[in-house]
Amino acid sequence: MDDQPPANDAERFLRLAQQEKRGRLTVYLGAAPGVGKTYRMLQEAARRQAEGRDVVVGIAETHGRSETAALLEPIELLPRRSIAHQNHTLDEFDIDAALARRPDLILVDELAHTNAPGSRHPKRWQDVAELLVAGIDVATTVNIQHIESLNDVVAGFTHVRVRETVPDSILERAEIIVVDLPPEALIERLEAGKVYLPETAGRALANFFTPTKLAALREMALRFAARNVDRRLADQLEISGEKDGYVGGDRVMVAVSPGKGGARVVRQAKRIADMFHAPWTAVVVESGSARAVRGGQREQLAENLALASSLGASLTTIVGTDVGRALVDHAKELQASQIVIGKSRRSRWFEWRHGSIAQDAIRLSHGVAVHVVPLDEADEKPERVRELNPYRDPLIALGLVAVTVSLLHLVPSWISAGAIDLVLLLPVILAATRLRMSGALWAAGWAALAYNFFFTEPYHTLDIYSTGDIITFVVLALVAAVIGALAGRIRRQAETSAGVARLNASLARFAGLMGGLSTWEETARVACDEISGLLEVETMIVAVDDGRLIVRGNAKYADLDMVDEAAAQWALERGEPTGRDTGTLNASDWQFHPLKTSLGTLGALGIARPLESRVIRPDDATLLASLVDQTALAHERLVLEAQARQVGTLRERDRLRGALLGSIAHDLRTPLTAVIAAAEAIPVEGDYAEEVRIAREESRRLQRFLNDLLEASRIEHGTIEPNWESVDLTDIVIAVLRDLRQDRTDTRIETAIDADCPLVRSDPLLLRHVLINLIDNALKFSPADRKVTVELFCDSGNATCRVLDSGPGLPAENADLFERFHRLEGGDRVGGSGLGLWIAKNFTEALGGAIGASNREGGGAVFTVFLPLSGRQETAAHA
Amino acid sequence: MRSDVLIVDDEPAIRRLLTGALDRSGITHVEAASATEALRLAAAHPQPVVVLLDLGLPDRDGIEIVPQLAGLGLAVIVLTARDATQEKVAALDLGADDFVTKPFDSEELLARIRSALRRKAGPLADASTREFAGGRIDRDRHRVTMGNVQVELTPREFNLLWALADRPGRVITHETLLETVWGPAHRQDLDYLRVAIRALRRKIEADPANPRLVVNEPGVGYRLAVG
Repeated sequence: MDDQPPANDAERFLRLAQQEKRGRLTVYLGAAPGVGKTYRMLQEAARRQAEGRDVVVGIAETHGRSETAALLEPIELLPRRSIAHQNHTLDEFDIDAALARRPDLILVDELAHTNAPGSRHPKRWQDVAELLVAGIDVATTVNIQHIESLNDVVAGFTHVRVRETVPDSILERAEIIVVDLPPEALIERLEAGKVYLPETAGRALANFFTPTKLAALREMALRFAARNVDRRLADQLEISGEKDGYVGGDRVMVAVSPGKGGARVVRQAKRIADMFHAPWTAVVVESGSARAVRGGQREQLAENLALASSLGASLTTIVGTDVGRALVDHAKELQASQIVIGKSRRSRWFEWRHGSIAQDAIRLSHGVAVHVVPLDEADEKPERVRELNPYRDPLIALGLVAVTVSLLHLVPSWISAGAIDLVLLLPVILAATRLRMSGALWAAGWAALAYNFFFTEPYHTLDIYSTGDIITFVVLALVAAVIGALAGRIRRQAETSAGVARLNASLARFAGLMGGLSTWEETARVACDEISGLLEVETMIVAVDDGRLIVRGNAKYADLDMVDEAAAQWALERGEPTGRDTGTLNASDWQFHPLKTSLGTLGALGIARPLESRVIRPDDATLLASLVDQTALAHERLVLEAQARQVGTLRERDRLRGALLGSIAHDLRTPLTAVIAAAEAIPVEGDYAEEVRIAREESRRLQRFLNDLLEASRIEHGTIEPNWESVDLTDIVIAVLRDLRQDRTDTRIETAIDADCPLVRSDPLLLRHVLINLIDNALKFSPADRKVTVELFCDSGNATCRVLDSGPGLPAENADLFERFHRLEGGDRVGGSGLGLWIAKNFTEALGGAIGASNREGGGAVFTVFLPLSGRQETAAHA
Repeated sequence: MRSDVLIVDDEPAIRRLLTGALDRSGITHVEAASATEALRLAAAHPQPVVVLLDLGLPDRDGIEIVPQLAGLGLAVIVLTARDATQEKVAALDLGADDFVTKPFDSEELLARIRSALRRKAGPLADASTREFAGGRIDRDRHRVTMGNVQVELTPREFNLLWALADRPGRVITHETLLETVWGPAHRQDLDYLRVAIRALRRKIEADPANPRLVVNEPGVGYRLAVG
């Protein structure tokens, strides 16, 4: 499942972060029409405008009230869009104008409004959602009965069902302000004619306005707002880490069934999930018998699933013939703590025959709360499955019996009379395994009649004399029923598993095909061909290439018309299904499914079916989802492969550069060794003493430079691995000084060394390198007649080595002193690779130490190396 | 005619430099540009005394022929890069006498060669006494004197100083010192050696914070100064 509680933190954080950029939604929530939501919203807007914010009214209904109209006066009004619709024009909110105008805050009245046909979105709340995504703050109004999850409850006690609903998800992130008016005051207003009611609602809506109902609605509105605050608080708390596990680890699972009852159960589950602050999952069980559910019910099921999804549930389909057990098993897998199941009011007889899923679930579940939602019979009213040919099964059954009877007549001599009834079982068994239950019973009936007519006395009549014959009848009927039931169950199981196997096989084949492709065009083409074949739809893949929308995989549709292109664009940008049969831009002939990956939306799969009402049959929805996922994965793989190739090229280039540097350095080293040795061999005396000295010093400098380059390439390739051993720091400092004195005729170095420093774990060569670089640097910057001091001392935690020079000191801004190729002012004059300090820093850090630089009081710089004393103190070493 | 030094290096420039320096000091020499040639000359009669061996040879890795050269009785001085610690340790453990890091100072190199020649030519050291810069060790009487002052050493320190003085001027690797003084089981216990060296320096060095007698070769070993 994609939203297990522990994984939620990141998700929640992401959501909060996104909220930063999104517009903020303020919802003025009322218990009933006429409480003054619009008025209150306008008041607030006027206040914001007075504060200097850019406020615009997108749409506001005054319903002819003058106070409201007066409030509207000073605020900029966005022109409405006129849409011609069947002889008259409708004024609608103009979303494009709003997006173009980009105010700080826009007022959009009546969140639950349904837009005129031909608008971008069917519902106004979708317009609002788009404004929010665009980063515009929105204020809006809504009544409590329009909220999706409360729709049933309100309809339950007011007997008025509103069709225009708003999904809870959009309100979850909103600030909710309850516009409250005591019931009595509202009724007064109603009687004074101050409440506008649409004429169409007429008397029905007037049903609302009784004190008890208004009180109940008011309580619901307040509770809803309180819960909303609660959830937002929980989000904040968890992000700031003030409280762990505010979510109690509950998870709600709901079994979704077709029909209106199923929708009720889904809404109830949403409320339960909200109560527990728990994530929830909607589950459909594919049992053999559910598969028999056809046509209309199938679509209802899909609608109920869509409802659950819009209310925030994740969806799952499970397979099992025993629905109750399958549900309980899956609940355990999900670690659900609450199961919600609908239960129809049926006769005891019906339950005894068919069992009750709810009863099964209650019996099987341990430690899981099962909520049973009672359903009305009207809810359940199963639509009869219409037979293709109602006479087919009885006729086949008759034919089977007739053939058997004829055969019995052909070979009567060696069939004993007692065997005849057994032989007559054959057509019954055959019918039971091949036909439906009714066919089996028909066969039993025909067989009984045939037996009676042909084989019992009196022959060729339907009269019955012996009780034995009656028993034969009964046995035939029972055998037919039992075998029919068993065969039916086996057949259904076989069908279910064959269906699942077919699905898996198609998916596996598809994944296999997708895995072997290496170009965009090929991947798109194969994906389109395969999906076309599997779902019997037209397909294309759209993607953005070079900032332009392009169609891949299907040359026939290379040119999209404007609406289709807009839908494709929308799917790509928003990552949600768009176009035909969806909530957005459904005027398009195509339905676009975004190919979402961890790298973003890489394209969209377009599907169309010319002659049917729905693009995708509900049965195929899961298959489509899997195919879209696979296609997205294939696209993601292509991107990753391209990236990997690029990285590979870079790495190879890096390696070559390293190798080149190494070989150059080696080839330079050998002749340089000879040069240095030669220069050293010439005595520094006579007329050319100065030249010899220059040759010696410069060749030494060249050598240091070369060494620096080599070390730098080692650092860059990450091949610095300290050779840890026990090191006596005094030893190292002394060795460094000895080396330096050898190199130069320099006696400018003074030392202050604590000979009692404990041993450290370190690498003597890296350490020596660090010190040589620092001391060399100090000598370079100090005037020829000034001393350089090297200090070594230790405290409880660190060994500290300081190199103090008498040079010009560090410039004021020395942040990048230890960067590569950084040269101090005047550094060019003194010479050096500009790598020395960078190398020193890298080596020190490889040794677990730190390096720093500052100015001395009275001129000069001081470089300090800290090395941790590893706790291996000087031990009595059997000395 | 007998040659004192066998020069083994594939770089003609380096060979020329070395021969020039040796000529000026009056030390005789022969040259080899490959390992094969080096082994041939090392076995010739009369034998050279010291071999100056560059490890980067065209036909074989120089380190491979160190044991053979040492086995022929030659004093092997290895020429290596400064950072090639492993190489130095390996060469010393395989029987090399000493090493000189490149780029080398010809005076220092000549001093090492002379010291090696002296060791090979000189009479075998007295079995019970050793001398080094300003110091004298008498093993029979278990006495160490610096100048005229007697120094009290623990048995461990005494053995360590003896191990160093037994081959004065030459680097002795950490492992060899540990094995000689503490025994084979302690070849890796570098801490013991560091601590003992420190204690020894406090007793025999004029300035323990700036030791001049017991010289550290970082990552390789210790050497007892001769001069």
